[in-house]
Amino acid sequence: MTNKARAGRIAAHGVMIALSFLAIFPVYWMIQTSFRAENEIFSGGWFPTAPTLKNYADVLAAMPMLRILGNTAVMAGATTLAQVATGLLAAWALVRWRFPGGALARSLIALSWLVPFQVVMIPNYVLASKLGLLDTVAGLVIPNAAAAFSVLVLYNAMRGFPREVVEAARMDGAGDFRILAEVVLPNLRAPLASVSILCFISAWNEYFWPLLLIRRMENSVVQIGLQFFMTQEGNDWGPLMAAATLASLPILALYLVLQRQVVDSFMKSGIR
Amino acid sequence: MTDATITGAHVAPRSVPRLRLAAAEPWLYLAPALLVVAVWTYVPLLQAFELSFYQWNMLPRSTPRFVGLDNYRNLLSLPDMRQAVVNTVLYTVGLLPLSVGIPLAVALLTGGLSGRLRNLYRALIFVPMIVAPIVAAILWRWLLNEDHGLVNAWLAGLGLGKIGFLSDPDVALWTLVWITGWKLIGFSTLLFAAADSAISPSYVEAARMDGASPWQIVRDIRLPLMSPTILLITMMTILFGAQWSFVYINALTGGGPLRSTTNVYHVMWEYGFKTMAAGWSTAAGMLVFVVFGLIAIGCLALMKRFAVYDE
Amino acid sequence: MIRRHFLALALSTGLLAGGFSGAAQAQMAPAIDKPVTITFYNYNLASAGLGREATLDLIARFEAANPNVKVEPIAAPSNEVLSRVQADMVAGLEVDVAQLVFRDLIYAAEQLGAQPLEDLAGDELSAHAEGFVPNGLALGAVNGKTYGLAYVFSTPVMFINRDLFRAAGLDPEKAPRTWDEVKAAGMAIAEKTGKHGFFPGAYGPIDGTFVYQAIVMSNGGGKVRDGNTLTFADKDQADAVAMLRDLMDSGAHARIDVGAHMDTFASGNLGMFLFTSAVLSRFETAAKGNFELGLAPMPSFGDKPTAPTNSGSAIFMFSQDPVKQRASWELMKFLTSDEAYSIITSKIGYLPLRPSTVEDPRYLKDWMAANPKFQANIDQLDRLTPNVAFPGPNYRQVENMMKEAVTEAVFGDGDPRAVLKTAQDTAQPLMPQD
Repeated sequence: MTNKARAGRIAAHGVMIALSFLAIFPVYWMIQTSFRAENEIFSGGWFPTAPTLKNYADVLAAMPMLRILGNTAVMAGATTLAQVATGLLAAWALVRWRFPGGALARSLIALSWLVPFQVVMIPNYVLASKLGLLDTVAGLVIPNAAAAFSVLVLYNAMRGFPREVVEAARMDGAGDFRILAEVVLPNLRAPLASVSILCFISAWNEYFWPLLLIRRMENSVVQIGLQFFMTQEGNDWGPLMAAATLASLPILALYLVLQRQVVDSFMKSGIR
Repeated sequence: MTDATITGAHVAPRSVPRLRLAAAEPWLYLAPALLVVAVWTYVPLLQAFELSFYQWNMLPRSTPRFVGLDNYRNLLSLPDMRQAVVNTVLYTVGLLPLSVGIPLAVALLTGGLSGRLRNLYRALIFVPMIVAPIVAAILWRWLLNEDHGLVNAWLAGLGLGKIGFLSDPDVALWTLVWITGWKLIGFSTLLFAAADSAISPSYVEAARMDGASPWQIVRDIRLPLMSPTILLITMMTILFGAQWSFVYINALTGGGPLRSTTNVYHVMWEYGFKTMAAGWSTAAGMLVFVVFGLIAIGCLALMKRFAVYDE
Repeated sequence: MIRRHFLALALSTGLLAGGFSGAAQAQMAPAIDKPVTITFYNYNLASAGLGREATLDLIARFEAANPNVKVEPIAAPSNEVLSRVQADMVAGLEVDVAQLVFRDLIYAAEQLGAQPLEDLAGDELSAHAEGFVPNGLALGAVNGKTYGLAYVFSTPVMFINRDLFRAAGLDPEKAPRTWDEVKAAGMAIAEKTGKHGFFPGAYGPIDGTFVYQAIVMSNGGGKVRDGNTLTFADKDQADAVAMLRDLMDSGAHARIDVGAHMDTFASGNLGMFLFTSAVLSRFETAAKGNFELGLAPMPSFGDKPTAPTNSGSAIFMFSQDPVKQRASWELMKFLTSDEAYSIITSKIGYLPLRPSTVEDPRYLKDWMAANPKFQANIDQLDRLTPNVAFPGPNYRQVENMMKEAVTEAVFGDGDPRAVLKTAQDTAQPLMPQD
């Protein structure tokens, strides 16, 4: 029995190590390439023979990278907050009440996910320009302030929430908003963390909308910055990899921090 | 089910004005999300619906010309369309093991591993998710290149022949499936792990007391309780597989070699969105929306039927 | 009822407004007597490196020489710049000068409302065009009027990996001149070195069709369309593609990832690569210490003259206001001046629209002496053949079908002529009707 369990555990480790390798090898490749000189890019090997910081210097010289990272963080953070807030409220309404039009509202929100972005891009651009949102972070955030994904995930999470707790709060005379804020919300940390991480990443990696909306380098976001090294005349591999590394590091760090939070919140959660 | 229970106690008799207020209340909570979706998605979508019957480039100096169903006819009669539909199915089927199968196995497997290592593995396999799609595309193009790519160098080292991962029409589609799936594994694992951790340990404990084997616990408790997430991700793969792989088709193969990697979304892009002709692109958009909308409604119905919620 | 509802919706956000026709053209102002700001949509600015630096340098010089004009540069990648221009027009923003690729020429003239320069600048245009290459104005002409002023452009040249030539027992001093020689050299390289022989940048997502068009028009001058009739499956045109297919079948033509051809060449795995000379400086850096790089003119069909076709872009004017028109015109003149081309050619590697700069010690003479490889590119200027853009609202779809067909004809196993013919028949209804 213990032997069997141990064998199973070793097999699990084996599978996980293989998967982990597949997952991070390309990223390792990106990072090591970012330290290669331009005529060494294709020479193969696991390490650059003469590591150089020139690519990073090139990136920092070509664009205000720190400012761009800051813009992206603000944009992604604001988008995440907005999506989580609108998602929480909407999901609560759909779980808490059964009311005429509720199913329709839910379907409309869910179906909005399926509308191809390119269809609404130009009308939205016209609207954004009328509202004076061109070249602003607000213009990047507002059209993405609600997402079907966060509504649906939080909706599912709330449906899994034990009703006794809600009942108890109601007995205590709590209002609906208070129940949401003080009872449901603290117990939704895990799904909230997942939704936040995913919102943040997808906002961080947003490309087409910023490309259309942003006009000045100092208002730009990292994905546009990456595009800067992919030219009609081929990719500028060294600086491109350096920029991609810089663009990934903050979000990787953030994820590692939040990953711990997610796990912790499982431990502490009152769902027993 | 749950609607009924959480909602149930609330239908206590109340005074009439209070009821009216109560009727408005859910809409207050829904308003922010609905407003954003209406203004930035549905209004433009309705415009698109109308524009799809016109030939027009949206420029203020030209006038729209009504062409009836021509835009739809042109799109549907494109020579690549049949291949694209077949490939779309292949992409979806190919993606399912990567977006559902492996992540589900990983979440269940690592659930039993010790905390620190488990977190390390989960952190590592999540890394692809944070790599920007365009960067993932060019990294894989490079690693898989026939001449200067590392993977083919390894294959040669193992005494195997070179594989034209992106240039062989029989292989290219599966290469793109892998790249798309590579980014999804971590994403799905995170969702499955979250779902798994949300299962009340008391259930598992109770089953263990009753002498259930680990596999029985997986089969009878963990899997059913994870079913909403499983169905959600399956549905997302079906609905968005074509869209997710589109980024890589567009960046890596442009639908080739010999149209072997094109899919519905890419054809729409190639002939619709990429050109600035409003008629083609809105017709393409409406087709995508309606077809996938119908699939979604079907999926939702299935979900309602099969998902199990912890009560 | 429903229809009216949609219309109201559409109108409410300003779409479908329609009906506005450009007011009668006011005469361009003779001078700029007050400060004015013009927008300049540019794709060289959208990527880091020499193109951006040179463009910023050009704009700064222009502003210094014209203190009343402020240029507001708007950067967009080359495959997005047209969408950006169009989206801004739809949004009611002012577009003054835009750099657009040649494939969009007719669309820019007929749909976007680019200004015909003859009507606007008349004598000034002909004076300015003196010193252009013979076909200079024709590159941007639609129905006899100049809408786009050729700006940064280039022609296909053959990049050679001289080390691979040596390894295959070939003389790198004698680069192949004809397609027969390309076939022989390509087969030798493929057989003796195990690397790839020849590849043209004609099939990939970012390649455009200029390399393909140059090959086609080198085979007797037939074009891909004649007026509104598609002709890319006609005999000479199809023969040219069949030649490529023959190279493929013989093993001389590489069968590689069409989107990574530049990397394949830069990594030393390809003997001959036919592509725009604009990538020269990138290849020079990549080759340093790895292999010896050579450059040759594009190959010919026997002794038929080659037809090097322009890749790259022209600049178009969209200004409506007379003063802005003047400012835009001054910018366009400056960007195509002797001074500008010394920068464009020496820093970015595009061809000079004004060939005399090459011999002028004030401009490019010294640079040419230091960069003899570039001569192969300059030599092709005499035979510069305008790239053929497609007309009508479906021009991109038609061009796309043609390119797909060419790729299938070369890489597939069907009869290349039949493949082209089928595609031509499918695409023809999408062309404007006469």
